[in-house]
Amino acid sequence: MSKIFPKSANALPLQILIFLGVLGGVAAAGITYYATPAYLRVGYAPVQPVPFDHSLHAGQLGMDCRYCHASVEKSATSSVPAAQTCMNCHSAIKTQSPLLEVVRQSYQTGEAVPWVKIHNNPDYVYFNHSVHVNRGVSCVECHGKVNEMKVVQQAQPHSMSWCLDCHRNPAARIRDPQDVYNLDSLTLAAQGRLDEAKKFVEHAKIMPPTSCSGCHR
Amino acid sequence: MKRKFDHSPAVSLSNGAPTGPKYWRSLDELADTPGFREHLAREFPEGASTMEGVDRRQFMRLMAASFALGGLGLAGCRRPEKHILPYGKSVEYTVPGLPLYFATAMPLRKTAIPLLAETHQGRPTKVEGNPTYEPHGGASSLLAQASVLDLYDPERATSHTQGAKTLNVADVNDLLARIRKTYAGNGEGLAFLADESGSPTRARLVAKLKKEFPRAIWSEFEPVQDEPPVAAAQAAFGKNVKPVYRFAKARRIVSIDADFFHAEAGSLYYARDFAKGRRVSKPDDDMNRLYVAESGFSLTGSMADHRLRLASSHMLAFAAALAGKVLETSVFEPLTKGLDLNPQWIEKCAEDLLENAGKTLVVAGAHQPVQVHVLAYAINAKLGNLGKTIDLVAVEPSSASTISALATAIKGGSVKTLIVLNGNPVYNAPADLGFATLLKSVPEVIRYGYYQDETSALAGTHLAATHYLESWGDARTVDGTILPIQPMIMPLFNGLSEVELLARLVGEAKPDAYEQVFLTRGGDKKAFEKFLHDGLVEGSAYQTVNVAFDPQRSASVFAKAPSFAALSKDNLEVRFATDHKMDDGRFANNGWLQECPDPMTKIAWDNAILVSPRLGKELGIVPGGSLLQVARKEEAEFQQGKENAFIGEVTLNGRTVRGPLHIQPGLSNYTIVLPLGYGRARTGHVGTGAGFDAYAIRTSDGLGFATGASIKVSTERQLLANTQEHWSMEGRDIVREANLDEFKENPAFVTAIGMEGHSPAIYGDYTPEQFAKLPEGDRAKLITARAAGTPRGNSLYETPNLDGLHQWGMSIDLNTCIGCNACIVACQAENNIPIVGRDQVRRGREMQWIRLDRYYSDGHADAEAFGAEGNKQLPGDSDDPSVSPQVSLQPMTCQHCELAPCETVCPVNATVHDDEGLNIMAYNRCIGTRYCANNCPYKVRRFNFFDFNKRATDALYMGPLGHQKEMPELVKMVKNPDVTVRMRGVMEKCTYCVQRIQQAKIAQKRQAGATGDVLIPDGTIKTACQQVCPVDSIVFGNVKDETSKVSRLKAQKHDYAVLGYLNVRPRTTYLGKLRNPNPHMPDYAKLPLSRVEYNQKNGHADHGAAHGHDDHAAKHGGHE
Repeated sequence: MSKIFPKSANALPLQILIFLGVLGGVAAAGITYYATPAYLRVGYAPVQPVPFDHSLHAGQLGMDCRYCHASVEKSATSSVPAAQTCMNCHSAIKTQSPLLEVVRQSYQTGEAVPWVKIHNNPDYVYFNHSVHVNRGVSCVECHGKVNEMKVVQQAQPHSMSWCLDCHRNPAARIRDPQDVYNLDSLTLAAQGRLDEAKKFVEHAKIMPPTSCSGCHR
Repeated sequence: MKRKFDHSPAVSLSNGAPTGPKYWRSLDELADTPGFREHLAREFPEGASTMEGVDRRQFMRLMAASFALGGLGLAGCRRPEKHILPYGKSVEYTVPGLPLYFATAMPLRKTAIPLLAETHQGRPTKVEGNPTYEPHGGASSLLAQASVLDLYDPERATSHTQGAKTLNVADVNDLLARIRKTYAGNGEGLAFLADESGSPTRARLVAKLKKEFPRAIWSEFEPVQDEPPVAAAQAAFGKNVKPVYRFAKARRIVSIDADFFHAEAGSLYYARDFAKGRRVSKPDDDMNRLYVAESGFSLTGSMADHRLRLASSHMLAFAAALAGKVLETSVFEPLTKGLDLNPQWIEKCAEDLLENAGKTLVVAGAHQPVQVHVLAYAINAKLGNLGKTIDLVAVEPSSASTISALATAIKGGSVKTLIVLNGNPVYNAPADLGFATLLKSVPEVIRYGYYQDETSALAGTHLAATHYLESWGDARTVDGTILPIQPMIMPLFNGLSEVELLARLVGEAKPDAYEQVFLTRGGDKKAFEKFLHDGLVEGSAYQTVNVAFDPQRSASVFAKAPSFAALSKDNLEVRFATDHKMDDGRFANNGWLQECPDPMTKIAWDNAILVSPRLGKELGIVPGGSLLQVARKEEAEFQQGKENAFIGEVTLNGRTVRGPLHIQPGLSNYTIVLPLGYGRARTGHVGTGAGFDAYAIRTSDGLGFATGASIKVSTERQLLANTQEHWSMEGRDIVREANLDEFKENPAFVTAIGMEGHSPAIYGDYTPEQFAKLPEGDRAKLITARAAGTPRGNSLYETPNLDGLHQWGMSIDLNTCIGCNACIVACQAENNIPIVGRDQVRRGREMQWIRLDRYYSDGHADAEAFGAEGNKQLPGDSDDPSVSPQVSLQPMTCQHCELAPCETVCPVNATVHDDEGLNIMAYNRCIGTRYCANNCPYKVRRFNFFDFNKRATDALYMGPLGHQKEMPELVKMVKNPDVTVRMRGVMEKCTYCVQRIQQAKIAQKRQAGATGDVLIPDGTIKTACQQVCPVDSIVFGNVKDETSKVSRLKAQKHDYAVLGYLNVRPRTTYLGKLRNPNPHMPDYAKLPLSRVEYNQKNGHADHGAAHGHDDHAAKHGGHE
């Protein structure tokens, strides 16, 4: 019986394996890149029109988050401050800084400063800041230590499962309500006060919604 | 209180004005930028420069498409860069993300509805009734709800024009100054034709105008009459008074062709008041009784306990006969000659009135002649109703001239300049005036209006009017309370307000509308601020005057009483009816209203010539046979569910109009009803081609109705978008009714109707009947326990875990629901529900989440299809006008079943239950299998067959090419930012306004902070339908709280679940409908006709009285 397969066929199994490996790799890379939600991108730090330094303002100068993000306690959005808010101080200091030209322009013309959105929830998600910060969830839980960021970047994935992790077990992430705006504070659990946290959750009836209607309308 | 905006058109950006989202002001601002000036100066200012500005979008679109085609290899697709655009300067009161509410009012003719407008960052999206105005209690109307859409109508007049030339604001001011100068002195040659208005500021300016230009003609014209003629009150009382009815105090009400739920001025006020006297919760509660004589079939007629199908032209005879009986006089006898009516009807009705003297009310329709009103006053006076159920209030006599007088002046050539303020006389003036021709003979016509319409086409100059949500003004309610009209937004298109126009004409020093209203209110800053804050002036209602009926004086009017003749096929009566949605035609371009089905005919997007079943038979357009008997459809032919109506031709005094014929049960045999307001020749996309124009045959001597018409049927057909073809309930138990007497005996009558009343207990341990026998407290407790615990009962399915803090539920009172459709449009406005267009409605794809089911019953459900001999009788086809079908109305929307059948069939868990008992839709999960809609027993789920929210209705089938016809940015501004805008391929349905629930919960939690006070107090959340409901039929709340209003309503004995036997446990339940007929009347029926049908169908004649139920159950052994 003569040979059915030519000699070169000996390399075929290896070739197939390599091909499958490469194909699998490309598919995995493709799916990871295209099919996983973009908003999961931790570390996203776009260039902003004004190089605002949170580590300087919130960190060194110790400004409260709410000085600028004024509606965080009342509204769904924490709100990015109006140019007027910047000008409260910057009409006295750094009045000629070229970096602040955009802000001065905005203050004068009313044309908005085009801040680039970092934490980008999809439109079908109705997140509300006020209910979180008033009930012991600190800014740092979702936004990271902004007071140490020179350029703000996304610190957490903001995926649905990430939201639900906390909604299903709020006691692990809750802070003393006084510490909500103290970005250097630790959660009660991290301070070893998990029992206290559990008591708080029970007492304040912290029952974060876990059904669709909580966030999707 | 609302800030006063600077309305000066010269606001530039550099003056430090508050800034915000810019689109709504951009045109305003654009007018002052150098770029715009340059644009004007170029040779081809419009259209020619397509590649420069406008086409940027198209360019972007092409680029986007080529990127997409070029493969997916561009990282740019992955994360679009989005921007956050804050204000330059913070705006007072505004918190980004939170709405603000301001008091304003929607004027309509002489009355207005006080409102609170919801604005999102300066963008009004929805209006609600102003609860400060006690008689309305926070309710509003269908038209008020839909009026927001008009503000964002891209086809409204967007510029002032003179011929082909566009005028800027300065030009308009010059024009007005020129008129003022030309006619300075006596005003000879100047004429005005205005709409009616109750605005005190306008009245003040008009008075000044008359002083400045004493010889100018100021005439007013409204195509539909909605207030009783002043002449009648003059004749009856010798004073300038108008009636304000107090329905709540009336136990017996007679309506003489008056549709006070809709067509009369103050209908919201009256409907609400009426419901107060109608609502019954306990057997010993009092309930009013309504007698209605009418030619059409109005919503008022559908509520009637006794209804006469009587021609409008016979109403005088009817009123005279009734007056004769009540006043015990024979003076009116000559007027009654020829009235073909069982005299018993009037006799017994009069007896009933006399028995309840002082607590009765007789109301005559505004379109009826003076004599009818005088007779109504006479009856009311005799019954001692004056000052009790009817207040006569002093009104200013109108000094305005009429349109006929104006027409005469124009013919005489004495009018050189005519200013038409609002209205649309070319379209709706009486046909005999030939107003279009007259207008052409006037040298200068200036039209001030919201749309470029028929009248604008013939006017040399068109001035763009402002919407009420963008102008300052004032108005009065039907009882005279003065209301402010506050702008929510700067005029989108540089429109001019009516107040400013008049102020400029009379040469006011500060013509600004704000200043003018401020001046009218006396110029006291503090009082004015309170006025704006409260949204009304307390105690500003008209003064009640003591009057006595003067028989001598009134006798004179009867000398000129119109005569009437018997009607027949060749001598038909035509009734011109104010349309439920289009009103007089002014809302023709409003998509929400066009798509809202008429409450009685259920036809959307068109009007039809309504003919009675008798006339239909004589015309040979009744299909008969199987169509009538089996399906019991409305008697027109149906093709694949589309009503295929014959085109008819109505001729009246040589004038002819063509339109589709629709058979409407319950009409007077030889009256045909022509709804006004359709067939607009010049309007936007929405209104074009909708219906026929009934004004074409309406003349000055018959504005409300006319006789002597004939009708011809052609062979042509037209498909109508009819949303409810079905005629009857087929003897089923959908709407459960009883007479008041039965209710008094057995308040739990609903439990004896329907299958669940005959089977073993389906839900929990009790049958509905046993349940109703429990003490009230126990019932409430059990309802609460059921809501939280969901006993599994005999269900095979596992029940969802309802362990939330609240459990939401709803109760709808069918006894007070008047079927006004306000809930449908309120829901549409709140929940971003798109319109789909006529063609899609014909295919049954309408998207409104609430459906108002209308069922007729005539006591014959013995259809052939069910083995009976067959109903050979046409409903409402009788010689006896007192034989009338009954109507049962029922709002139907998602019932939020605890054991929802839709949920079990969803393959992707897109519709699931939440822990508070809501049946929710996760739109982003839905893949559009439509299994859920298929499995819904209530048929309340709606599917987005197309991108209805994104595309124009005529571009739905255009595939990718349709992107050219996407919704303009302006239309998107009406969307509620708190609700997802759904896309193609997604199922949707009522959510119990989940956004309002979540907002209330969040607000409560925010307030609670570290405390545990997170339970929402009862009454905090109002769903959109509940908030708008003029009669408070809908109550929403927490059923887990046994003291909440909704729990107490659900604990009432006449509470039932539709299709309760399915054990789906709906969270929405209904309170049974009651009728209160008079046992002495000749047309008294012991049972409501729907119950008669129910009994026929289910073969137990004696079932209605509910006693003997147990025997029955034993006998039939749970056959159902």
